[in-house]
Amino acid sequence: MKNMNYLVAAYIAIWAIFCVYLISVARRMASLQDDIRRLKEGGK
Amino acid sequence: MAGESESRIPTGPAISWPSVLVVFLLLAAASYGALIKAPEEATMGLIQRIFYFHVSSAWSGFISFILVFIGSIAYLRTRDLKWDWLSVAAAEVGVAFFTVVLVTGPIWAKPVWGIWWTWDARLTSSFLLWVLFVSYLILRTLVDEPERRAMVSAVFGIFAALDIPLVYFSIWWFRTQHPQPVIGNGGSLDGRMWRVLLLCWAATLGVMALLIRIRYRLEAMRMEVDALRLEASRSSR
Amino acid sequence: MNLMHSTATILAKELRTEFRSRELLGTTVVFVLIVIVLFSFTFNPTSSESRRFGPGLLWLAFLFAGSLMLQPSFLREQTNDTLAALRLAPIDPFSILAGKMAANFLFLLLVELILLPVFAVLYNIAIFPILAPLVLVLALGTVGLATTGTVFSAVAAQARLRELLLPLLLLPVLAPVLIASTEATVGLLRDPSELSLVWLTFLTSFDVVFLTAAWLFGEYLLEE
Repeated sequence: MKNMNYLVAAYIAIWAIFCVYLISVARRMASLQDDIRRLKEGGK
Repeated sequence: MAGESESRIPTGPAISWPSVLVVFLLLAAASYGALIKAPEEATMGLIQRIFYFHVSSAWSGFISFILVFIGSIAYLRTRDLKWDWLSVAAAEVGVAFFTVVLVTGPIWAKPVWGIWWTWDARLTSSFLLWVLFVSYLILRTLVDEPERRAMVSAVFGIFAALDIPLVYFSIWWFRTQHPQPVIGNGGSLDGRMWRVLLLCWAATLGVMALLIRIRYRLEAMRMEVDALRLEASRSSR
Repeated sequence: MNLMHSTATILAKELRTEFRSRELLGTTVVFVLIVIVLFSFTFNPTSSESRRFGPGLLWLAFLFAGSLMLQPSFLREQTNDTLAALRLAPIDPFSILAGKMAANFLFLLLVELILLPVFAVLYNIAIFPILAPLVLVLALGTVGLATTGTVFSAVAAQARLRELLLPLLLLPVLAPVLIASTEATVGLLRDPSELSLVWLTFLTSFDVVFLTAAWLFGEYLLEE
């Protein structure tokens, strides 16, 4: 089990990086969707 | 006016469930391959298994930056903003992939070489590429007007992409003249390792495609919001 | 007006503008001197080490100086919106860019040539025997610096934080030039002095690639 910790750390890091990116995109999207809904309703 | 902008902005979900499923399965298979099926490397032990995703991420990040190049040229030729959306999406995803490369590289080096960083050719080139496209992204935040932003980003994107082979060659030749420990598999790969590597690459390409599509949609939505705000301010007069 | 002619005219205008004030030249030279002196505090500038570190520091200083002094290239045009007037002239728009690139190249080369003897004295390096190949390396590296620097100065002129943006954009792109020029210079300073064909060819390729890119895509930056 040589270097197991490092392997685990590396795989966690990969997942973390992509999750952080995905979450940041999802949050921006949700906020934009709110804006779109607000602006469309405001127009009516 | 409203009809025009609506027809250009895509509607519906950004990514389909089948495509997510396919990528998920690829990832599962690739992880199984990397962590279990692949033969254990003699000298480095378990940590060598990071090699498959480390290299795949670099290759996929590289493809992302080529997409920035293509998108940038296409924007300058056609002035269709959707090419700009592709460029920024590809740039961000590329930076994410190279972040993975830059984080997994040292994690690999430390147990094998005892030090986190050896300025080896590939990792140093990755670092420079990362910095280059982070600069691209910073440039974009500093220009507010969409068409102008698209245009200047496209020019810089082209230059940055053209720089990629020059960066790799200069750092590689420099390292050939001044050798240092190499973070990598060193010798050649056996057949099974190649198969796992290619599978991992397919998986990361799938992730790349999904992330770019999502980010592309985000950019399209930004434009929709801008257009709606413009309309709202016009009609309120 | 053909391309050569209009480029030469713009070049003449740029040089005249700069030499009328002369402040930029002096300031740039002093800035590079400051960088060289400061760098020398970071290591022991005895003869053996200076041959290894010296060229790199020199080139780094040139890159920093370049990324600062290339700013005015396009900012100058913005104050009176003279760029619009230039664009209206019946000339190939690329000649505006080319004229500025040529002017920046000559200017930067002049700064480098002024500083070469100073550098040689400070680091006890004999440059006369290798002067010709050294100037060749300087020229090739400076072409890369001037070409990309002028284009990026046009890019930065359209953004906020342009003083910080130009170095941010320029320095990573020029990393290959830094490596190649430094290595070529180090080779020249070796005993016996050797001129690396690989690095020279590389620098030339860099210049060709980016000059072509500037020619193909630079005009878009001058629009609107």
